[in-house]
Amino acid sequence: MKSAIKVIKEQVQFFYLVKRLSVYELRSLTRGNYLGAAWEIINPAIQILIYWFVFGFGIRQREDVGDIPYFQWMFAGILVWFFINNSVMKSSKSIYSKIRMLSKMNFPMSVIPNYTIFAQFYPHLILLAIGMVILQFIGFPISIYYLQLPIYIIGLLVFLFSLALITSTLATIIRDVQMLLQSVMRMLLYLSPILWPPTLLPDSWQPFMKLNPFYYVIEGYRYSLLGEGWYFIENPVYTLYFVGVVALTFLIGAYLHVKFRSQFIDFL
Amino acid sequence: MINSVEVKNVSKRYKLYKKQSERILDLLVPYKDYGEDFFALQNVSFEVEQGSIVGLVGINGSGKSTLANIIAGVIPTTNGQVTSNGNVALIAVNAGLDGKLSGRENIELKLLMLGFSQKEITAMENEIIEFAELEKFIDQPVKTYSSGMKSRLGFSISVRVNPDILIVDEALSVGDKAFSEKSLDKMMEFKEKGKTMFFVSHSISQMRRFCDQILWLEFGVVKEYGATKEVLSKYESFLEEYKALSKTDKKKYRTRALNRQSKKNEEPAVL
Repeated sequence: MKSAIKVIKEQVQFFYLVKRLSVYELRSLTRGNYLGAAWEIINPAIQILIYWFVFGFGIRQREDVGDIPYFQWMFAGILVWFFINNSVMKSSKSIYSKIRMLSKMNFPMSVIPNYTIFAQFYPHLILLAIGMVILQFIGFPISIYYLQLPIYIIGLLVFLFSLALITSTLATIIRDVQMLLQSVMRMLLYLSPILWPPTLLPDSWQPFMKLNPFYYVIEGYRYSLLGEGWYFIENPVYTLYFVGVVALTFLIGAYLHVKFRSQFIDFL
Repeated sequence: MINSVEVKNVSKRYKLYKKQSERILDLLVPYKDYGEDFFALQNVSFEVEQGSIVGLVGINGSGKSTLANIIAGVIPTTNGQVTSNGNVALIAVNAGLDGKLSGRENIELKLLMLGFSQKEITAMENEIIEFAELEKFIDQPVKTYSSGMKSRLGFSISVRVNPDILIVDEALSVGDKAFSEKSLDKMMEFKEKGKTMFFVSHSISQMRRFCDQILWLEFGVVKEYGATKEVLSKYESFLEEYKALSKTDKKKYRTRALNRQSKKNEEPAVL
């Protein structure tokens, strides 16, 4: 609990730095390609097309999901997945790849995973805006339900940061965690409601699929973008579950991070 | 005189593992030790007065860089403590530069991390670029820089930041003569301002010219600490002797020292 309060205070105090550092981080990531930051858009676009081709045309024969056409359904869910995937992978590496450069600085180490996530957040917002424009033209115009979107965005940011506190600590101590995470994330792509609707599974399986907290965020995004309803109000128990998971993840993450951070440099 | 840096009974232990599995076991199994201990520093204690310049000497593997990093607060100690009065800057060869970013962006990033505001950064930027003599290269990515250019950039940033305590770890040995002269001038200026400095180098002539005190480390323990003239002449004669030793004698000498480093000594070791 003490370490949790400490980490929260640090984030508030150094939020200005998080914003500034994430810009340099983004520049450092996209520098060196001719198209630079444009790849943040091109890459997802190619992936969306290939998933649509395989799962929309090839396997599912353009079958609708409920009353929503497959492409629109998949598109609204996958937009946020790119952000989730990149953030989880980059933030878990953040501490051990940057500690040499940052070891003697006037800010706490908990800022590092946070600004790597923020560096992924800007492209996500741009992608989201482009996605909204596209949705206007394919039958899902802007609606009152957009208003709930910030809830899921903030919830996701907090969860990603909490998770990053755990993964970045573990990955610094045992490098294999990075490889494990890569497999888990690939698995989650198929176990989350992104490429196919898990509602196809028998009813008894549903609760297990929903244990995955990303399930909540993805469905929340989809409800907002496609105007399906107020997700957090319609699923109060699931909302509470998500909040609980985030809180627990944060407590564990803050504890691990504070416990090990003075020794990080010795693990290189 | 106030002490600017106090180092008290500092030890630094590293673990040597024969296998990866030992490393994991050591982490997971409580109350049991795996792997072999290695003390890079053992019971190092000394005090440095404000405004003096201390040279760290010793043959390879004696723990000079470890000590420099500990004083700078980059790595934690295993035992003992370091108290320093004021902010410390460490300058090492290509320390802390992002290769993908340009020199200018690296300056901004570094200053940002040190807690300067945008206004201050803009004000300091040009001075740093000028001092580093990087002119048209400043907007090129740092990964294309030569090692001399990198250390010039690092040195210029650290110097401009105006620290109270400066640690220079062999950073000047890569620059050309002209730049290292300029750097030494800058350090002289710092000396006059009463700043404390540590100087790690293999160049005895530079040390003689520049340092007030010499700390001679040998295999992790302090062998001598005192005025430059005395310690350096002892160190030089030791180097002569050491060079003259036969290969097997040298090896014996090292093995003896290494054995000592793998046990924990409560008492300061006497050589």
